[in-house]
Amino acid sequence: MEGCRSSTEYNRALLLEAKRIEKSYGGVRALRQVSFALEAGEVHALVGENGAGKSTLIRILTGAVEPDGGAVLLDGQPIRDNSPHRSRELGIAPIYQQPAIFPDLTVAENIALANETGGLFRRVRWGDRVKRAAELLESIGAEIDPRRLAGSLSMPEQQLVEIAKALGGKVRVLILDEPTASLTERETGRLFEVVRRLRDNGSGVIYISHRLEELPRIADRITVLRDGETIATVSAADTDSRELIRLMAGRDLSAVFPKREVPIGEPVLRVRGLTSEAVGIRDITFEVRAGEILGFAGLVGAGRTQVAEAVFGLAKIDAGKIRLNESRVSIKSPGDAIEAGIAYVPEDRRRHGVAAELPIRANMTLSILDRVSNGPMLDEDGERIVAESWAQDLRVKAAGLDAPAGSLSGGNQQKVAIARALATGPKVLIVDEPTQGIDVGAKAECHRILCDMAARGVAILMISSEMAEILGMSDRIAVMRGGTIAGIVNRADATAESLLAMALGGSAQ
Amino acid sequence: MLVENRAGGERALFLLILLEIAIFAYTGPNFLSAANAFEVVRLGAELGLIALALTPVIVTGGIDLSVGSMMGFCAVAFGYLWRDAHLPIAAAAGCTLLAGILGGALNALAITRFNAPPLIVTLATYSLFRGMAEGLTRGVDNFSKFPPDFLYLGQGYIGGVVPAQAPVFAGFVLFYWLLLHRTTRGRAFRAIGFASEGARWAGIPVNRRLALAYTLSGFTAAVASLIYVAHLGQARADAGTGFELLAITAVVLGGADILGGRGSIWGTMLGLAAIVVLQNGLRVSAFPAELAGILTSAILVVAIAAGRRTKRTAHVTVPQENEEDDMKNSQLAVLSAVIIAGSVIVAASNWWLVQSVTGKTPAVPFAAPSGPTAATKAPHRPTIAIMPKAKGDPYFVSCRLGAEKAAQELGIDLIWDGPTDLDPAKQNEVVEAWITRGVDAIAVAVVNAPGISTVLRKARAKGIKVLTWDADALEDARDYFVNQATPQGIGDTLADEANRILKGKGDFAIITGALTAANQNEWIKFIKARTAAKYPGLKLLTIRPSDDDRNRAFSEAQTLMKVYPKMQLLMAISAPAVPGASEAVKQSGRDDVKVTGLSLPNMCKPYVEAGVASSVVLWNTLDLGYLVVNASKQAVEGTLKPGVTSIDGGRLGKINIEGTQVVLGKPLVFTKANIGQYDF
Amino acid sequence: MTRRILAIGGLWAVLLIILAIQAPDFFAPANLRDMAVTNAPALVVAIGMTLVILSGEIDVSVGSQFAVLSVTAGILAKSGLPLPAVAALTALAGALLGGTNGLLVTGLGIPSIVATLAAMAFWREFLRWTTQGAWIQGLPSTFQWMGLTQAQGEIAIVSSAVLLFAVVAWTMSNLQLGRAVYAVGSRHESARLAGIPVSGITFGVFALMGTFTALAAFLDSVRFSQVQPSAGMGLELKAISAVVIGGTSITGGKGSLWGTLMGVVVLAAIAPALTFLGVNAFWEKAIQGTIILAAVVLERSASKGGPHAR
Repeated sequence: MEGCRSSTEYNRALLLEAKRIEKSYGGVRALRQVSFALEAGEVHALVGENGAGKSTLIRILTGAVEPDGGAVLLDGQPIRDNSPHRSRELGIAPIYQQPAIFPDLTVAENIALANETGGLFRRVRWGDRVKRAAELLESIGAEIDPRRLAGSLSMPEQQLVEIAKALGGKVRVLILDEPTASLTERETGRLFEVVRRLRDNGSGVIYISHRLEELPRIADRITVLRDGETIATVSAADTDSRELIRLMAGRDLSAVFPKREVPIGEPVLRVRGLTSEAVGIRDITFEVRAGEILGFAGLVGAGRTQVAEAVFGLAKIDAGKIRLNESRVSIKSPGDAIEAGIAYVPEDRRRHGVAAELPIRANMTLSILDRVSNGPMLDEDGERIVAESWAQDLRVKAAGLDAPAGSLSGGNQQKVAIARALATGPKVLIVDEPTQGIDVGAKAECHRILCDMAARGVAILMISSEMAEILGMSDRIAVMRGGTIAGIVNRADATAESLLAMALGGSAQ
Repeated sequence: MLVENRAGGERALFLLILLEIAIFAYTGPNFLSAANAFEVVRLGAELGLIALALTPVIVTGGIDLSVGSMMGFCAVAFGYLWRDAHLPIAAAAGCTLLAGILGGALNALAITRFNAPPLIVTLATYSLFRGMAEGLTRGVDNFSKFPPDFLYLGQGYIGGVVPAQAPVFAGFVLFYWLLLHRTTRGRAFRAIGFASEGARWAGIPVNRRLALAYTLSGFTAAVASLIYVAHLGQARADAGTGFELLAITAVVLGGADILGGRGSIWGTMLGLAAIVVLQNGLRVSAFPAELAGILTSAILVVAIAAGRRTKRTAHVTVPQENEEDDMKNSQLAVLSAVIIAGSVIVAASNWWLVQSVTGKTPAVPFAAPSGPTAATKAPHRPTIAIMPKAKGDPYFVSCRLGAEKAAQELGIDLIWDGPTDLDPAKQNEVVEAWITRGVDAIAVAVVNAPGISTVLRKARAKGIKVLTWDADALEDARDYFVNQATPQGIGDTLADEANRILKGKGDFAIITGALTAANQNEWIKFIKARTAAKYPGLKLLTIRPSDDDRNRAFSEAQTLMKVYPKMQLLMAISAPAVPGASEAVKQSGRDDVKVTGLSLPNMCKPYVEAGVASSVVLWNTLDLGYLVVNASKQAVEGTLKPGVTSIDGGRLGKINIEGTQVVLGKPLVFTKANIGQYDF
Repeated sequence: MTRRILAIGGLWAVLLIILAIQAPDFFAPANLRDMAVTNAPALVVAIGMTLVILSGEIDVSVGSQFAVLSVTAGILAKSGLPLPAVAALTALAGALLGGTNGLLVTGLGIPSIVATLAAMAFWREFLRWTTQGAWIQGLPSTFQWMGLTQAQGEIAIVSSAVLLFAVVAWTMSNLQLGRAVYAVGSRHESARLAGIPVSGITFGVFALMGTFTALAAFLDSVRFSQVQPSAGMGLELKAISAVVIGGTSITGGKGSLWGTLMGVVVLAAIAPALTFLGVNAFWEKAIQGTIILAAVVLERSASKGGPHAR
């Protein structure tokens, strides 16, 4: 039970404890007899594949969900009538994977709503709110104007606001659910500093992440969940990724990046001088060849997703040319792009990637409706055949293809989104953060699929914030900075440090 | 078909319809007959078309509130093109359909090009289309005398049994079913409804698909308006009023999610059937028409709530869906019970108090007689069904008192029912229900003469005595008209009163009911004619609408007094408008402005006695109600028959018969001197 | 949002200038006073509607509630209760009617447009059934103007509405309660996670809507000596239109009461302005619709044009 650094000066008392938690949804058991203990002054990582029960456990700790059995104790006292509000008052501050912001309110107010106490009838002090928000954002190194509407922020910016929100109040237990998924290296570094500071001040931090390689940098202890059960709690210093993967998966996973060398062909997609004021990118020039994976690296907000959106017809293009196989194409809508042979697997899976309520097969054929039809009539048998073949190809694990896509795990949802894109038979495939927030097994499969597609001669443009993924998968790497391409390097010449230096330019470090 | 975890809801709805049928088969004579089934289809066709049009729109997560107004606009456009622009009927119909498409395209344009929320856009066009219809007709006009070939579409029977609109409707049902459930367009609608951005990212041309849904909705509304016009024989600006809400109710009752994604044509048809069968059944059973609205809304709430419950339990495997509400269940239950009990108390006390305070209103809301047994068993107690123009109108409420008195005295069963608003289509439906039920005599205060005449002729053909009162139908459609005063008589009397009050010279303004109200427009015509011919000193300044709302009349009168400082007389020709205008004059403190008009003495007594209102014109409504029942009874018993020149009017003494008109006498003029003697 | 206000304000300014030239009497104090008194109840309803729409819901049953509550006020007054008691009981009845809507929405999870659509039909038909259209007559003489003189009564009505506006407007921007309404309308899930009692706020907003409707019904009824049971027809559309013209987002979270005030003023001015200008009444609805459409289109054409919103 004792942590690895028992010699610290802090009193390593039990802070938050979950005892023999039971939870079922309908007939499905999500958690069985799960116990978990967080000490004051430690960062305790929680890992497990998707569906292992991490999110459910967090929801129970924060009172968002009531457990069927067991108890949650803070300082040894059971928390009664737990609710998100109550737990927040007790100093339990969660940061969820999907930012829980108010898009129509300002950043300052977003932060204030989470932190001010005193009930619904207290006065609102606008000046204080802005000042306090500015300080908090400053402390985590986020350059965001507190007066902006939260809805106008990018996803990682929203994530930073979330973190500022959590740090704003009395924090005894900070819960971070995949906080670095959409953050860049630099922002991640800042975040870790903040987390360490909190820990050193005696708070406890629960840290959930799929990026196992960052755990030794930040975590003291690691608890592994599998299939709703606690498998082990280990010291972070004594455990390597391999061991963790074995614990999580219950099996040994080899080769994390199955990058295969395939012959590189002629250039398929050529972009010259692409500029779009609306999304803030200018003079983008690059080309992708058949069978090649071009990685797009850069800080969040550097404009990588925006390049993809411009190429895919989602943003208005002010200048520049796009050529596909030597012929110039005019792309004004996603429909045009698909027609031309470009497919896009979007970053925001829930909003853009899959329609959760539609059946899996309908999701898979959504981009090729005119190919599974006789005239205006839908050919449902044809559709089923197409969907089944993709489900088999991509190894989608589902009860049946008529089940809603939302019933799948995150990794399988991502496969459905990929199937939707691949079904169009693209010459160019754009994948945006393809493995964000999915578990290790699914991640490896996604990488395998990308390699397969490259082997079939598809030109692939891969946007990723995960340095290991960029380095492990790309043939060449384009680094973006401030809405433009800072440079393109071959993988052989690239290191994490060199890429980071390019992404930061002269402005930092 | 897709994502339909709906079988349970549809089964429940189906059972509900069966239950309705079972109940009404017992309470409503002849409810369970083929003829009535076809009538239900006829009545459902127009509403059904609108509900069909709304289903894809709602599936995309949108809404179209403008469909009812669109019907009004299309009806007027059609009438205008045919009568005034002299287009052949087919060309006029074609242009009307085009107008519907354009109107739908306007909605589509605002929604797709400007990304405006459908609710607001169609709220705006809801006003806009209706306003254009009223503006085009100047409120006064309506178009009738369409050729019989066209009217066949709405009134005829194929092979003598199947209503002519049934095949058209069936065609649309099939079309929409294919569209929504069997085409790529339908799949796109659903994808947009579930995740509009996701659909766009997937390359679906979202804007084009939305445009299709809204344009189709406009087109289908135009088709509905043509059938509606053919059904009523008249094109008016108020066609389709309120259809949007009933249609939305049908769609949602059928299991569609107002937030988009879920919905089916089959469900919509079940929802529609539940509503239409309920309306028809209540009428055939002679239950009060208001119950339809009350029951429909109750069913809607129960159905949706039940649907939500089952969906929650069905979805629990997805953890996010299973978050408990903040309120604990037990607290919620207690609070619900308290609030609902409170609401019931409000409702019940309201009812009880209304009954005790107003006193005179019929004490039993269920004016329904007995059921099938009474009609067949009793020796022969004739059943007489009387229909006012609008049930809630105080004028007709007071007629009803007279009618009930007569029914008691003369020993007959009285059914008193009709639309709750001035709604010609509803009048037809009620008559149809009475024919089905099999009454001895029907007496109708006609809202729309050409519209109702077909169904009245049908009633006569079935051996039912048909009378009209208050306003006449076409002459060959009824046996007798109980004539309290012709529109000309009313117009003349009002003009004479204006002349008397203004002493031959002065300006006056008219405050009417709704701009589309046919009878008021008729009176205005005669008021204008009489003043032009006989009273050159009088000048009519303007005509303003009050929508039969006392408060609106009040505001209009206030404004009129300021805009026309020299105006000396306000003539209010809708019952609530006279007290409204009088109150405005009273509050302004001006004694140089007087009020006259057509209203009930009781409503106006304070103002007449205070001298604000100089006079009120009306006949004795109690006597009118009494005479209608009396004449109907005598028509059934044969004492009122062709050739008779007078009948015994009971307490009214001898009543003259002129041709086929039963004459009540001249309108009364109530002034300070005599208003105290009347109580109605 | 501000653009919509500017656009509407501009249109309205043009109308005012035309009026100033063509019919200066429009600005006569007596006319402005009458317009204020007549529209004070509508403002009270629109205030409630603003809260409902800000919280991301909608209430189409206010017209029917208004009628039921007018009759309630009339009956209570007729039964001989003192007027303050009448007002209080009417408000309570309003809170119950609104609370019922709130329960349907929060407790049963019925989308508010459907729940209030049902309530709209239910209460309207219920009232028709029970009253059969009969007016409440023979009220005590103290009913009209609440026993005050006409001038005092008018001042009382307008100042009640203004006071309510001031209190609610202040609350919405300066009390956490008001901000919570915005937060709930902006995003339910976030509000729940932030510890805001979402169901409570939603329920409260509906109950408040009912209470305000009751107040409006009371303020409206005391202008007359009789109560008509057909009151409030179309009131829901008027209130929603005012809120929308005022720039409040129909999906919630964005907007202000000041915009709503402007919306009420614009809508209130249309009918009298047309009479003053001698424009035919038949075009009134068309003009109203055009203004709303223009408001929406002008605002949206300027904005970046985000993805299609429901």
